[in-house]
Amino acid sequence: MRFRSMGAREIAAGVREKKFSAAEVFEECLRTATDCEDRLSALAAVTAEAGRIQAKRVDEKVAKGEDPGLLAGVPVVIKDNICANGIRTAAGSRILGDWVPPYDATAWSLLADQGAVLLGKGSMDELATGVSDGSAAAVAAGYVPFSLGSDTGGSIRLPASYCGIYGLKPTYGLVSRYGMISYGSSLDQIGPFTRSVEDMELVMRVLARHDPKDSTSVSKNEIFARRTNTLKGRRIALVKEFMDFSPTLDQITADAMKRTIRLFEESGSEVIEVSLPTVARYAAACYYTIAASEAYTNFARFDGVRCGRAAEAAGLREMFETTRSEGFDGGVKSRIIVGTYLSEPDCYEKYYVAATRVRTLIAEEFYKTFDADRIDCILQPVTPSLSGKIGELNLYTLTANVAGLPAFSLPAGLQIIGPRWSDGELLDIGLEVEKISGAPKIAYFLQRR
Amino acid sequence: MSNMLKMSDFTPVIGIEIHIQLKTKSKMFCACPADYSGDEPNSRICPVCMGLPGSLPVLNRAVVHQGMLAGMALNCAVQPVTFFSRKAYYYPDLPKGFQTSGCDMPIAVNGWLEIKDDAGNPKKIRIHCLHIEEDVGKLLHSASDGRLEGADASYVDYNRAGLPLAEIVSEPDVSSAREAVEYVTALRRRVRYAGASDVDLEKGMMRFDANVSMKCADGRWGRKVEVKNMNSFRALERAIEYEIKRQRKIMEDGGEVLPETRHWNDAKGVTTASRVKASARKFMMEPDLPPLVVTPDWVEEARASLPEMPNEKTARYVEDMGLSEADAAVLTDSIDVARYFEGCVDAGANPARAGNWVRTEVLRVVNEKRCGADELTVKPASLAELICRIDDGRLSTTLAKRVFEAMLDGLTVDEALKKSGAAEGEVGADALGELVRATLAANPDVVEEIKSDKLDKNTKGKKIKFLQGLVMKETRGQARPDEVSKIIESALNLR
Amino acid sequence: MKLNGDDVRAIAYEARLSLTNAELEGAVSYINNFLEMAGRFKELDLKNVEPFRFAESRECPLREDKPEPFAQAPDILAARCAADAGAFFKVPRIMEE
Repeated sequence: MRFRSMGAREIAAGVREKKFSAAEVFEECLRTATDCEDRLSALAAVTAEAGRIQAKRVDEKVAKGEDPGLLAGVPVVIKDNICANGIRTAAGSRILGDWVPPYDATAWSLLADQGAVLLGKGSMDELATGVSDGSAAAVAAGYVPFSLGSDTGGSIRLPASYCGIYGLKPTYGLVSRYGMISYGSSLDQIGPFTRSVEDMELVMRVLARHDPKDSTSVSKNEIFARRTNTLKGRRIALVKEFMDFSPTLDQITADAMKRTIRLFEESGSEVIEVSLPTVARYAAACYYTIAASEAYTNFARFDGVRCGRAAEAAGLREMFETTRSEGFDGGVKSRIIVGTYLSEPDCYEKYYVAATRVRTLIAEEFYKTFDADRIDCILQPVTPSLSGKIGELNLYTLTANVAGLPAFSLPAGLQIIGPRWSDGELLDIGLEVEKISGAPKIAYFLQRR
Repeated sequence: MSNMLKMSDFTPVIGIEIHIQLKTKSKMFCACPADYSGDEPNSRICPVCMGLPGSLPVLNRAVVHQGMLAGMALNCAVQPVTFFSRKAYYYPDLPKGFQTSGCDMPIAVNGWLEIKDDAGNPKKIRIHCLHIEEDVGKLLHSASDGRLEGADASYVDYNRAGLPLAEIVSEPDVSSAREAVEYVTALRRRVRYAGASDVDLEKGMMRFDANVSMKCADGRWGRKVEVKNMNSFRALERAIEYEIKRQRKIMEDGGEVLPETRHWNDAKGVTTASRVKASARKFMMEPDLPPLVVTPDWVEEARASLPEMPNEKTARYVEDMGLSEADAAVLTDSIDVARYFEGCVDAGANPARAGNWVRTEVLRVVNEKRCGADELTVKPASLAELICRIDDGRLSTTLAKRVFEAMLDGLTVDEALKKSGAAEGEVGADALGELVRATLAANPDVVEEIKSDKLDKNTKGKKIKFLQGLVMKETRGQARPDEVSKIIESALNLR
Repeated sequence: MKLNGDDVRAIAYEARLSLTNAELEGAVSYINNFLEMAGRFKELDLKNVEPFRFAESRECPLREDKPEPFAQAPDILAARCAADAGAFFKVPRIMEE
């Protein structure tokens, strides 16, 4: 079981240097996955056949002396709302039926071009409206060294926290959304799960590319060039309104916050308190308004005519209604209902239009604070509570989506949020923290042998 | 009350909404080819125009350019920053379940078109705005008459989905069915001139809806009725006429016109209430497309590329070239024909004669072959050469027409002359002399008139021309007209 | 402003959705919680605030007008094709009774 504890960088180097083959790596990872799956259910699909073909291609390139890529032979899991050509995508929902996308998501094809090998599609909550993520579990349990997830209001950072690994929600626009099934189009971003900061950086270098197929994608991949390697002089902010730990918050997280604050201070960083009252009071309402409005339009295409599940019916309305009602669960239906309601003339100004303006105020409050107080990043818990009530579980994560900011979740249940395009800086900070507190281990308690 | 109201007490208040397919090589948000005529259904599709999960739109620059040109052709101002919205509704021809449209922030606003009102006076129809948006798929219904009513199933072809459209909304300035037709005709002409669209009605590149309401002299104003499904100018005219009558009758009888959507049934000649009720809904901003910025440079570039417009051309033909308004109007109806005509004149042809030839022979061929005048095998310079030879008197009109036919096969003037079996003036001098003598003998009274001094120069010339015509007829156009004139004049001792 | 089951069913109808009793209960609770939270917006004066269009000022990128047929177009048609629909996507009777 030698590959299970290796990171992506190590595996890729090993394959390039012919220490071992991509096929070997793939078969072992496949065995790990199949061993653990009945307990973990991390995968919606295992792509053994496709993966073997991809691994073979990598080995052929190595044999010919061609460059097999930065991720040569590294097995990967991608969340099942990210399309891979020829491989069934369900996005956690019945509504997609047996649909097989005839195209690759750009993020996946960037990984594949660098030699990554697809092991499986990560299981997920329906259409990304929830936060559970099999891709995170797959990395934590050691199926693969890294995986791709998506984050609309916290669905990378929350599972990363629970699984004790790293998760990055990049700055909005840094990673192409083409080929990811949209939930909240102006909130969604694809991001990696990894077990080390080094791997996070490697994968982000591959993913952060402008995509002409995504009009919201921006060209900024130079932000992952090496910068400072020290925490000395860094200014870390604690948000007054997000420091409410007790009694709802997990004691582990509270301890982790204390430890991390001390780590920063002892390393020469300055830890200061800031206040974000507008963010604290209105971000959740803003998020749910925008997410519902974008979701109801994004899910309107699921009517059974062109792809996915279709119900037999004598009339069109029946076909649409039955297809959608049998295909969606209650959670998705609730969001569609809210979005639909908000587009009625009587509500439109009060909620939707108001939310688009409140969003500006929220973003401005963040920008001003980063700017005026010269903040490198905000340190805060990933969640204030483990309850499922609307606006509580993801209250601390959705803020970054609303403002389009990068947010890097650390294994201890904490996250650092930075100004737009500070993704590289956040990884640098994370790397320094990791040097002191250590990288996450595989969740070996899941291993039977 | 009703028997006191006359027809003239009611004024129709009509607004027209037009959808035009903009001329581009690929679709609005994807690279699928825009021209799919003759292709299999559902062959010009891709994940983007099919709205497949995960697909995203990328705006085609040519769509913006063409939209701007169309707006400028209609005297609109171009907005520097606009954005797109999602117009959501559920229908099988709408792949994403919403249409990405510039309707909330149109790219061109506050335009106008001049037409003639029913009394013949110039009238401005104001144009509220022009915005760009994507087209939807085409629905075919299984009912025997092809209509939606009574169809057990329908079939969707998405080749058309995602094609770029410009939607042009007028103010309710139109006052009659006749004005409506003139408005859409003028609009179509100008948009075609600008090159923004081919506006081919048969290919469905232009569709219109009308909003009709009736204002009564006693102060009542009936509610607005939307009329859809008119597929030709004639249908537009008939539908509006019908609707005006229908609404007036209701108001005359003291009733209220229901604000609704009605469909024109061309076969039956009536509008019927549509049973499909769409609830009003507001649109959200399209999050997948940042705001569209049109720079002043781009606007200038577009404006500079606009050709001379039909009314300017008409005025120029009348003032500078002495053509009649009617003739000029025919020549300027289509820009390719106008350019052809101008090409002839530039190559030296007499404008009047060139105008006649283009209006008759060239237009005839263009209509027969269903092509643009620019695709004609006979180029303007060649036609000009032919026309000059008629002016010189070297060719008769009759012969020239035969030569023109031959030239359509790609021959030059000289080659065509040879082919049509006659060199210029092939009739021998003696034979010609005989013919002239015979003609003069057969028309003694005309000869008398000419010889006498009673006629003014003009009329004399006309009489000689008359005789010349008779001779030319005898020679089946093969004689040189100027030669014939010479012989006649010398025979009459006028030389 | 609280919505009841009838209100929610009416909205669901517009969204081409039908709900089980449990789903209806869940939706009523969800939307009312949401409206309560979103009611906070009226505390703010938003008159002079621009709507958030993109996280930074950005212009719509434009594509050159070059046609490129999608090679896997037949796969799209094959994905949903009723047996007797030929090269079309079939839907049942559109007009309601």
